[in-house]
Amino acid sequence: MSAHMTEDQTLLQDAAERYLRDSYDFNQRRERIAEGVYSDPNQWQAFAEMGWLALPVDEEFGGLGMGTREMAILAELCGQFLVTEPLIDAMTSTHAIIGVSQQQQSLLPRVAEGELIPIAAIDEAETASRLTPATTLTQTDEGWHLSGAKHWISAGASATHLTVLAQSADGLAWVLVPTAANGVKCEHFPTHDGRGGMNCQFDLVLEADHILLQGQPASDALEAYRTLAMTLSSAETLGATQAALNTTVDYTKQRVQFGQPLASFQALQHRMSNMLIQTELTRSLIYAACNAADSAHDDAARFARAAKVKATTVGRSVSQEAIQLHGGIATTDEYIVGHFFKRITALESWVCSKGEALKEFMALSPS
Amino acid sequence: MFSSAEHWTERIRTVNASNPIPTDHETFRASIRAFLKEALTPELVRAGERTTSVFSDFEAGRRWQSILHAKGWGAPEWPMEHGGTGWDIQQRYIFLEECKLANAPNPVMMGIQMLGPMLMHFGTEAQKTQFLPGIISGDDVWCQGYSEPGSGSDLASLKTTADLDGDEYVVNGTKIWTSMAHHSNWIFCLVRTDKNVKPQAGISFLLIDMATPGITVAPFSSLDGEVEQCQVFFENVRVPAANLLGEEHQGWTVAKYLLEFERGGQHFTIELKKQLGKLQRAMANPNSRAVDDPTYAYRVAETEIDVMALEQTELRIKGSLSAGDNSGALSSLVKVSGTELGQRCAELLIEAAGQSAMPWQSEVLAPDYTGDTAAPTESVTTMAEYINSRATTIYGGTAEIQRGIIAKHVLGL
Repeated sequence: MSAHMTEDQTLLQDAAERYLRDSYDFNQRRERIAEGVYSDPNQWQAFAEMGWLALPVDEEFGGLGMGTREMAILAELCGQFLVTEPLIDAMTSTHAIIGVSQQQQSLLPRVAEGELIPIAAIDEAETASRLTPATTLTQTDEGWHLSGAKHWISAGASATHLTVLAQSADGLAWVLVPTAANGVKCEHFPTHDGRGGMNCQFDLVLEADHILLQGQPASDALEAYRTLAMTLSSAETLGATQAALNTTVDYTKQRVQFGQPLASFQALQHRMSNMLIQTELTRSLIYAACNAADSAHDDAARFARAAKVKATTVGRSVSQEAIQLHGGIATTDEYIVGHFFKRITALESWVCSKGEALKEFMALSPS
Repeated sequence: MFSSAEHWTERIRTVNASNPIPTDHETFRASIRAFLKEALTPELVRAGERTTSVFSDFEAGRRWQSILHAKGWGAPEWPMEHGGTGWDIQQRYIFLEECKLANAPNPVMMGIQMLGPMLMHFGTEAQKTQFLPGIISGDDVWCQGYSEPGSGSDLASLKTTADLDGDEYVVNGTKIWTSMAHHSNWIFCLVRTDKNVKPQAGISFLLIDMATPGITVAPFSSLDGEVEQCQVFFENVRVPAANLLGEEHQGWTVAKYLLEFERGGQHFTIELKKQLGKLQRAMANPNSRAVDDPTYAYRVAETEIDVMALEQTELRIKGSLSAGDNSGALSSLVKVSGTELGQRCAELLIEAAGQSAMPWQSEVLAPDYTGDTAAPTESVTTMAEYINSRATTIYGGTAEIQRGIIAKHVLGL
């Protein structure tokens, strides 16, 4: 069943898939993570050279000016190949926050070249909602004082800069903070999906040019960021889900028990059929969410939330089933399928949970 | 948050994120709507509203088919030369959608949807001339004689025989689950013409006049108490050999062709979106049991998301078909999801209706009934719909058969 891609999109997908197939080996990835290298600078440079980092950057700033559909193509491949570099993290922060800031002209080319790696820092340990940060940005005689802490920043250890969501006197603010700046105290930790996570404490004074957005534009950017993050995390989940299904189908064809391949048992065949049905339904909804975003459809935000709900539900059930149908081997670290399961699990709560997405979906009237 | 019925009628029109319907199609939609407003009598609308299975009240459906035929819209899916409308795929979708929204009754469609395409592909010129006009006008009512008491999912094991005797076949055996046979004057049948080859290779496709001596029709009630299903008995029924469709022993190929024709032509989401509208109304109704259920709105929202996913999948399939990609068991995927989602909607609806769905008043289902009811009409039809929805994952190839097709043809298991 075709996915209705343009010629450019097909070229992007084919080239990216070829690269990752050749250069993103699962066993090398495992060894690298075991050595504590969660993000490979050579890979990031290669991503930059292939134009992936310029994808969400407008053409006038040296980018490719592509849309959500193209970003989703890469996100899906990140899921399929278990990419640990922060690609959807950087794309969302770049597109939705930096790309609409006053500083876009100076910052975007640096992002496209791979020199500046931005990741949004939103979650906090003690706050009622992710949308109401306790981290504050206050104007002082010396400049802008950022005070607070951000937690569990996925792949945060790979960032050069954080786009920090803070509360200011004028409403929400997005602040660009170099992770190496004085007054930033970071704690790194490995995460279950093979990434380098990070907690950060901020107590520093910044020049005004570090404030990317403030007030209503900052709130709008938060909404745009979350909508894009929901769609791209759904796409990455989809890639991992499809890969988990494919791995399961291949394995059950080879694994012989009771004198016949597991795939010959009808009880297992029907479970795999369900996995396929649900994966394809999810794919349709995610592509629709991308197209809705790219055509500025009135229901774009609603489609993104629907995609997030569906992808999260299906990703969880398919990856759990993938482990069950494999049997014991899937519970070992050296076998790939459990890693799809872990990445899918990480994405479930990244930026937005299924429950949050469902609640927001219900509050949005269709056009 | 949960808005009025009118809002929902608007809402359940096609939401297509990738391909908004072009404006000239909106003109088309308006013309369909205007026609429906004029042509649908209150009684026909009641027949549509009180439809609780695939079939509406038989006479109402038949009347509606003759109205459509007079307008030239008797079989929009058919090619122009046989009376089709020449509408594109989107216009045909709009037509179905508007008919559903306006509560038009469903005519018996086995002739138009199933036999018609097979006749056009395999029929002789004489057969086409003889049968197609009666199908499209609704003057002939066709039923489908495939399943037998011993041959359900394993259809190829069917035992009804047809032995050639001169220029006639002599048919003996029985068919079951023959929907609407008691209203039909023709039946298309799969019969065994060769017992000495593998099962699929010995089957032929016969067109049989129900008035032929030796045919007995025994209707029986479904779980909701309504009579739609029949068993048909054949005892030395003599059928002209000229009524063979396709080559002798090629009946399996003829029947399989229909699957190709159907592929991608299924529109479960039109009906499902109508169900979603009912769910929204149930939530807005202060007397509904949904108001006592804190999980209800969430379950409806998740169901709506699943319907959106199916709708986008149906659109993807249509796109694939027009791009010439006819591979994969796509119709199986859509059938499984569409029917299971319909069942979920039906479950949610009886939950909202609560005990008000329990009165069993089959007279209320008649379109000319305007008397008292023990509960609101919508509640009375809700339970019948729920009960009948269990059949949807059984007929037309069970959900298990569909999953088997997906396992074999998509996953290669």
